[in-house]
Amino acid sequence: MKKKIALISSSVLVLLLIAMAIFAPWLAPNDPYATNMALKLQGFSTDYPLGTDYLGRCVLSRLLYGARVSLFIALSVLVVTLFISMFVGLLAGYVGGIVDLVLMRICDIFLAIPDFVFALVIVGALGGGIRNMFIAIVLVSWVGFARIIRNMVRSLKESTYVQYARTIGVPKRKIMIRHIVPFVFPQILLLKLIGLGSTILLISELSFLGLGVSAPMAEWGMMISDSKTYLMSHPMLMFLPGIMISFTVLILNWFGDALREAMDPKAI
Amino acid sequence: MKKLSSFLLIFALSIVAACGNLEDKKQSTSSNPKSVLTMSWVKDIGQVNPHMYAPNELFAQAMLYDPLVSYGEDGKIQPALATSWEMATDGKSYTFTLRDDVMYSDGSKLTAENVKRNIDTVVDNSAAHSWLEVVAVIDNVEIIDELQVKINLKEPYYPFLQELSLIRPLRMLADSGFPESGTTKDGIAKPIGSGPWILTDYQQDSFAEFTRNENYWGEKPKLKKVIVKIIPDAQARMMALEKGDIDLIFGSGQLAPAEYQALQKTGKYQTMISEPSSTRILSFNTTYGVTQDKNVRLALQHAFDRQTMIDYVLNGLEQEAYTLFAPGFPFSDIKLEHYTYNLEKATQLLEDAGWALESGATFRTKNGQTLTLVIPYNSGDQVHKTIFEYLQSAWREIGVEVQLIGEEDQLFKMRSKTGQYNLIMNDTWGVPYDPHMYIRTMTGDKQIGYYAQKGLAVSEQLTANIGKVIRSTDEGQRRALYESIFQTIHEEAIFMPLSYRTNYLVANNELANLSFSKQQYEVPLKNFEVK
Repeated sequence: MKKKIALISSSVLVLLLIAMAIFAPWLAPNDPYATNMALKLQGFSTDYPLGTDYLGRCVLSRLLYGARVSLFIALSVLVVTLFISMFVGLLAGYVGGIVDLVLMRICDIFLAIPDFVFALVIVGALGGGIRNMFIAIVLVSWVGFARIIRNMVRSLKESTYVQYARTIGVPKRKIMIRHIVPFVFPQILLLKLIGLGSTILLISELSFLGLGVSAPMAEWGMMISDSKTYLMSHPMLMFLPGIMISFTVLILNWFGDALREAMDPKAI
Repeated sequence: MKKLSSFLLIFALSIVAACGNLEDKKQSTSSNPKSVLTMSWVKDIGQVNPHMYAPNELFAQAMLYDPLVSYGEDGKIQPALATSWEMATDGKSYTFTLRDDVMYSDGSKLTAENVKRNIDTVVDNSAAHSWLEVVAVIDNVEIIDELQVKINLKEPYYPFLQELSLIRPLRMLADSGFPESGTTKDGIAKPIGSGPWILTDYQQDSFAEFTRNENYWGEKPKLKKVIVKIIPDAQARMMALEKGDIDLIFGSGQLAPAEYQALQKTGKYQTMISEPSSTRILSFNTTYGVTQDKNVRLALQHAFDRQTMIDYVLNGLEQEAYTLFAPGFPFSDIKLEHYTYNLEKATQLLEDAGWALESGATFRTKNGQTLTLVIPYNSGDQVHKTIFEYLQSAWREIGVEVQLIGEEDQLFKMRSKTGQYNLIMNDTWGVPYDPHMYIRTMTGDKQIGYYAQKGLAVSEQLTANIGKVIRSTDEGQRRALYESIFQTIHEEAIFMPLSYRTNYLVANNELANLSFSKQQYEVPLKNFEVK
């Protein structure tokens, strides 16, 4: 029962988060890109519920639009890496031999370098911007999952039902699609959802260093970085996006955990 | 565990500055607190090699080493290590008489031989100094007697003395400072100079301790010691000042305008702003994309509200600039009609050039091309970013799209060198570099100034004039040439001056006699006192 409550309440929060991102243009009280120098660094007011930043832009509107950027990139990364990891993992696990060897050594190389440092190097070399940041994050996050899938496939390959299928002459491709993928996919999706929080963190970290999204796009990490200068005089500019990141990551992690526990077959 | 660690990470991110520098306690002001000054600096001072550039820090080089002649407060050349000098009538050689009482901090005496050795080693490494005409123009150095040297030039060069006074690379290192290989391009053995300070203690990336040179030939510093703490983060510097770990934050490189103002508002410190030291300019690239079009350049000049930018982005700390060099700089008192803020005129100019705004579109187009400006900036520079973000939203209103590219330092430099931009931030260097050296870089390959003029129809004429002006020995001719150069630069609208930069400092109330040097990279610690 307790698990169910956790799952329901965390799902509600995640849905709220997604709704916030989708409906940002309707929810935002002001244009997040409209600057008004005369109104810069204002406190809370009815026109600007959470005040304005150093260019006189509405902080609340920027926070709402920031949710779009983080969630949109994180979800696209999820979809793209899901495909890459599946492809590599299935190939290495099922074909085996030299293909497995080569692919896994490539994975080793990627795994040997810490995620963030590697992403930093890629973005540093390619330049900032959403597209390059997306490429960098995809490149660092497909690896671990590819390896997990490969190991799952290898053990499935030895299972009796796959052996039978093989004996009666079902083609390899069909075995993969009909007998292996359906088993692997949900587990990997789950793992990916749990990893969503760390992807959002990665986006914010890169943007914090000025290497993520490009101005004037609103992004939480960049908002924190932009407000460094005003930490002494206007600390709220830094706290608000910080709180947003913290809550988003916490909610997503909680949701992932709740989902995993709910789906854990041992618990039933 | 995962939850906890991600939460901690974010928390650390949010209060990133708050935790800087907690570990080191106030140090070394114990014996005689009255005569020691502690200040912060952004980067390590490097090896303090007087003949090389980064990572050697200019202010430290200026503290340890002396030039033959110095650049006076009034812009006049004054005696330093040389008491007098004489130019040959053809302008091709200079004879210097050295002071007799100069002692290096290792006890050795300044001699003509040592001066020759210093100049030779710099000239030998001329590849590193290609941007600096003075190094290219020196032919050889003759020793006349123990205290007289003659420097022969390949051709006359009017700013010769001015460039001898630069903080680098032509200041004098003692013989014992030279490395075994004999050439300082490999580094130096010890930082031994004849300047007012001696480097007595140093720990890389942590601190440097300078002690007064008791044998200094000129007016001795009033302070006994200066301790420089390396604190790379601005918030950490402000907190160090608050805690009393440092007494002084000197220079606009250490504090953003908003940070300066935040400290000023507390009322606990003395604050000071200098006279204009250089010019903040935006440089167009006339060889790339839409800025090849003169009307676009002119329109942008008129579409820039300098006063608003200065009031709100630079917190009123700088002054509006309409010319490349502030009036009062050598040869810069020229009447030029300012490009004043006028959005109607800007729009008209764009319309005239065929950049039309289709109904419903946000940005102007011409033959299917959008009016987009590529503006790169160093992703670590918050002030530049803010200025550009302001321009981005201001120019959007006249249908100009600004594509901001924040890049890591190396990548940004590479982009600037290859000219992959429409507009880029660039400061002039202040005296004694301005105006001649800044102008000269316009003829150098891959320089920002080069891309500014290369695409012009009058590029060849301009380059020829710049070549002539630094060779001219006749003051009148020089003035006429400068006037024509400044005129062309202004008419072609290739630079957009934003503001005259100022330097500023924040110090605690125990310091007295604070001031700025005419050269913006120098910290005049010699005059500072502790009450």
